[in-house]
Amino acid sequence: MIEKTIKVDINGDLYERDVEARRLLVHFIRDDLELTGTHVGCDTGNCGACTILYNGDAIKSCMMLAIQADGATIQTIEALAHDGQLHPLQQAFSEEHALQCGYCTPGMLMAAKYLLDRNPQPTEQEVREAIQGNICRCTGYWNIIDAVMAAASRGEET
Amino acid sequence: MTETTVSPPEALVVEEQEVRPGFIGKNVPRKEDRRLVQGEGIFVDDVKRHGMGFVHFVRSPYAHAKIKSVDISKALELTGVYGTLTGDEVAIHTDPFFELSVPPGSEIKDYCLAVGKVRHMGEPVAAVVAASRELARDAAELVEVEYEPLPVLVDSERAQDEDAPILHDDPGSNVVWSGPFSWGEYESALAEADHVVRIERLHFDRFASTPLECSGAIIEYERPSGQWHIWSNNQFPGFAAIMMAPALRTGIDKLRFISHDIGGAFGNKICTHPQLTACCLLARKLKRPIQWTEWRTEQHMTNTHGNERVFRDIEVPVKADGTMLGFRCRMIDDCGAYPRYEPLGCIIWSQVTPGCYRWRHIEIDFTQVCTNKSPVGPNRGYSRMQHLWFTERVIDIVAHELDLDPVEVRKRNYIRREEMPYETPNGCIYDSGDYAKTLDIALDLIGHDRLEERRAEAAQRGKLLGLGIGSTLDSGTNNFAQSQLLNPELQFSGNNEVATIKLDLFGEVVITLGTVPQGQGHETTASQVAAEILGCSPDDIHVRIGHDTYWNSHSGFSGTYASQFAVTGLGAVKGAADKLAGEMKKLAGAVLGCSPDDIELAEGQARIRGNPEAALPFMALGAIINVNNAGLPEDLDVTLNCRYVYRPPFQVPDKERKFGNLTLTYATQIHACLVEVDPETGAYEIVEYAAVDDCGKRIHPQIVEGQVHGATAQALGAATHETFAYDEEGNLLTPNFYDYHVPHALDMPPLKGGFIESESPFTPLGAKGMGEGGGAGIHAFCAALQDALRPAGNPIVYDSCNPPHRVWEMLQDPESTRALVSVESRS
Amino acid sequence: MLLREVEYARPAGIAEAIQLLSEHDNARALAGGQTLINVMKQRAAAPDMLVDLAELEELTVINATGDGTLELGAMATLADILSSREVAERRPILAEVASTIADVQVRNRGTLGGNVCSNDPTNHLPPLMVATEATMTIIGAGGERVVSAEEFFLGVYMTAVAPGELLTKVTIPPAGGTGDGFASVTVGSHGTGIVNVAATVNGEARIAIGCVAAVPVLVTARPDDESVREAVRTADLDPPSDVHGSGEYRRRLAEVLSVRAVQQGRSSG
Repeated sequence: MIEKTIKVDINGDLYERDVEARRLLVHFIRDDLELTGTHVGCDTGNCGACTILYNGDAIKSCMMLAIQADGATIQTIEALAHDGQLHPLQQAFSEEHALQCGYCTPGMLMAAKYLLDRNPQPTEQEVREAIQGNICRCTGYWNIIDAVMAAASRGEET
Repeated sequence: MTETTVSPPEALVVEEQEVRPGFIGKNVPRKEDRRLVQGEGIFVDDVKRHGMGFVHFVRSPYAHAKIKSVDISKALELTGVYGTLTGDEVAIHTDPFFELSVPPGSEIKDYCLAVGKVRHMGEPVAAVVAASRELARDAAELVEVEYEPLPVLVDSERAQDEDAPILHDDPGSNVVWSGPFSWGEYESALAEADHVVRIERLHFDRFASTPLECSGAIIEYERPSGQWHIWSNNQFPGFAAIMMAPALRTGIDKLRFISHDIGGAFGNKICTHPQLTACCLLARKLKRPIQWTEWRTEQHMTNTHGNERVFRDIEVPVKADGTMLGFRCRMIDDCGAYPRYEPLGCIIWSQVTPGCYRWRHIEIDFTQVCTNKSPVGPNRGYSRMQHLWFTERVIDIVAHELDLDPVEVRKRNYIRREEMPYETPNGCIYDSGDYAKTLDIALDLIGHDRLEERRAEAAQRGKLLGLGIGSTLDSGTNNFAQSQLLNPELQFSGNNEVATIKLDLFGEVVITLGTVPQGQGHETTASQVAAEILGCSPDDIHVRIGHDTYWNSHSGFSGTYASQFAVTGLGAVKGAADKLAGEMKKLAGAVLGCSPDDIELAEGQARIRGNPEAALPFMALGAIINVNNAGLPEDLDVTLNCRYVYRPPFQVPDKERKFGNLTLTYATQIHACLVEVDPETGAYEIVEYAAVDDCGKRIHPQIVEGQVHGATAQALGAATHETFAYDEEGNLLTPNFYDYHVPHALDMPPLKGGFIESESPFTPLGAKGMGEGGGAGIHAFCAALQDALRPAGNPIVYDSCNPPHRVWEMLQDPESTRALVSVESRS
Repeated sequence: MLLREVEYARPAGIAEAIQLLSEHDNARALAGGQTLINVMKQRAAAPDMLVDLAELEELTVINATGDGTLELGAMATLADILSSREVAERRPILAEVASTIADVQVRNRGTLGGNVCSNDPTNHLPPLMVATEATMTIIGAGGERVVSAEEFFLGVYMTAVAPGELLTKVTIPPAGGTGDGFASVTVGSHGTGIVNVAATVNGEARIAIGCVAAVPVLVTARPDDESVREAVRTADLDPPSDVHGSGEYRRRLAEVLSVRAVQQGRSSG
């Protein structure tokens, strides 16, 4: 077994763990750190359920090895709410019924947050492009787009 | 994208509406959301157990082969491997799963691992359990299986040929079930026709809703009691238990099913009993919890596909004015390598035999066969969708061939509002609906009056524009007696669902459901219904998450499938809440010294009507029954812990005539689609889309609309790119999301929505089940495509899935599809 | 979904990277991982050693020289290309095409070098490299060499980068009066290419057709529609048939899309 010790900052907490080189980042997050909000939905990097923010960039954590993340700063869905207060995007998703089963939702929210952090007043087309890498089988995306636009129009600090 | 929800000035209803000031019909905040938006949902792969072993299945690379040997020795040598399971063990420790069909299909032997033979690519042959996911996969690669490949059958129309490869030796035939259906007087209708339109072949393609969360389970075995604890995302534990208990030679109660949050299912998490059975055996054998998570590729290869159906030799007698008298057709359904839930698909379509139309004379010859492809499951729209696509294709093709307007033909032939409840040719009762009105709303939303203007404008840009309508029904709440129409020996009939409700010590109202929600908002809608009855707020009601057979709030048909929750699930909640309300009033009456009839439940209290000071808060009632019951009348029959079984009013149909009511409710979906085709490439864009829905009383309008959206998106995916295509060797060419393209946010058209509410006269709340939709998007898209291509040689859309290359082929060679259609005119 | 055991190294500089790649027979360079990790998940490829190029900062630079030449480091991500002012000013077609590759998350990690070196026949950038007459700089134990795009793409998943070597940069010549175009039909929006065509027009049309052969097929023609069509027909393409289309469909798409790409090139030049 080829293992290495890595240090990763996830949601402000510093984790030091031994990992096999072959372990995917998403499995490290879910199984080793028990942060199960980030999900696995496919095996070809298409669905986006595993989306996290990696050094500020939205990426798919199933296409990175945990060992690559040594020294990185990561944000997962668990970072969005603060002290029981939902993030405006989370609030908007609920109000607009932008989730049904909730499985794609963490990845979708991270992709939406990435958009609004850099483009606080997106057009609808920009919202579609921002979540194009996140598959949802329940909602058809229309309410999700509405939710992101609603959160943007509230113009709060994201 | 614009989203306009259009509500007509008055809701159109069949019966008078009571004034409802309460929570039903309101968009109360969803209880499920708080945990799901924070990533705190508990999905099966999130669950961990100490000492659990991860299972990986060894799967066949061949579509059809004999298994010569399975050697697990090298796998067992790997450090960290806990054990294995092979087909030989399975054949000893289990009995084959129960088969629903009659001979020859009943002779099929179906085990949880391949025994002696593999019959589809990806079929599990052995299982390996190890300390980590990666190790289990490593070990699986070390299992050596020797195969002797056999000829492969992928074409359902060749399954009955003399020289066809036979999948199952015991029946000796590939036919799972076969039978005729005949209602009305078809031959007279044929004689009376002014035109007879014949269509040689239509094909409904294989696809599936591919829920984002794959199947999975974590299973523990309690040695002393023989109790299995199955935490899984199976959506129909009633069915799973009926299949698994006899196979495992154990009692039903020994299989405890637990679920919490499920990431979508759409019918594809009904037939996971083989994998669950294998994991049960492993849990017992290896004396540790067994963790199974299916991978995306495994789901696409094996678990499950929607029914693929071919319609041959279609014949439609029509009058000169466009009245359609009936149809005759030979239907061949492809259920893949193992039937499992089949052959129920061979009868379930008949819930909607005439579709939305008034034709009365129908003859169908229906055969279901096995092929070397993935087993099918009751995918969203199960069996009705295929049939309704067929009826819509027929309407459009007949209209085009006779140069009639597809809108006018529909209106002429639609069942009328005044005729509801309407008895179909085979005795099903359509409860309510106004198809013409629903269509008008759809046409208005899509801008039908500007169609020719838009067509001309598109033509100037070198594009072909077409409008299509898809009218469809979502039949909900099955009468399982329809299974007896396939196999008179079966002992299944009716339907049911259970709910419990209690008032706890501190006044908390707690509900448990027998259903297994996968995003439909059951906790929320159940609390709406109960709150209205109990006179409190939905926030005061706690609905336990998910399903657990240990709650004893389930029955033989428990689960979430077949568009029935609003009727069965909420019917059970209503019944339980009514019972509890009755008991609360009895208790309050006894304590306050009046008749229960004088008690009203409001604002979280039981109080004397007209004297609000004489009140008992819920907490007081709960306390009295639970810990403070001295002095209560001896004959007071009150527990404040109620269980209710909702049972829809069904009879066993006439098995001879295959006649009788098979479903309680019929929701309507009429969609319209505008497609613009690039004739040089076959690529297209859906430029407008309208979806109008009628599911009776909408308990939670947002949730209803969400289901409409989801069904529409899945249908459009199926109509455009989603196909489980196989090559001649039985290799699946679209085994994961890389090649099997499901729509994403850039693929979706602008959507306009509308609704009417034709309440059902047959249900406790006037609501109808509606989650599946009837595949309206597929029908509408195919119709729009055919309309768009009319000027380009008038090809026929003959397949449900039309990716750009198929459109291009139709444009290149319209004659070859035209050759499928002929019109015999007698006038 | 679960990889075989593999070793991992993260060299601090190019020299160390080259050394690691040369020393290990079955070593692969890990750039963005958007292709390689996926392939390893399928266990279709199983390198023994992954050489992570993440520390090689110098390979991420996008630089425009005085005469309008664009130099893109092989580790520049697709997102870098999208947001690069130099690209927008000198050769915007690169950003236009990059913006249609996969999705936001993939573009944040996926690199120019990765897209070009993996040389999947359906990739977007190889035809664009051939049409724009890009040159590739490769570094190995023996030193540095420059290869034209036409000579770079050798076969399915095969390029001129030999074991032990690294692509360091891609150089795009100045646009001058050249107009660029790109046309494709994909599986869904921004999906896998069924056929894609890149074209540059400067007097004559230089057309590189992707998805029809192991490597982009280069065709030249006078830049009018009929000549383009004729040239593509004469190229006698023999594209593969698969679930997304027949060989014949691809052959005809190649004609139509070549015309469209050249039209775009004509109007933007």
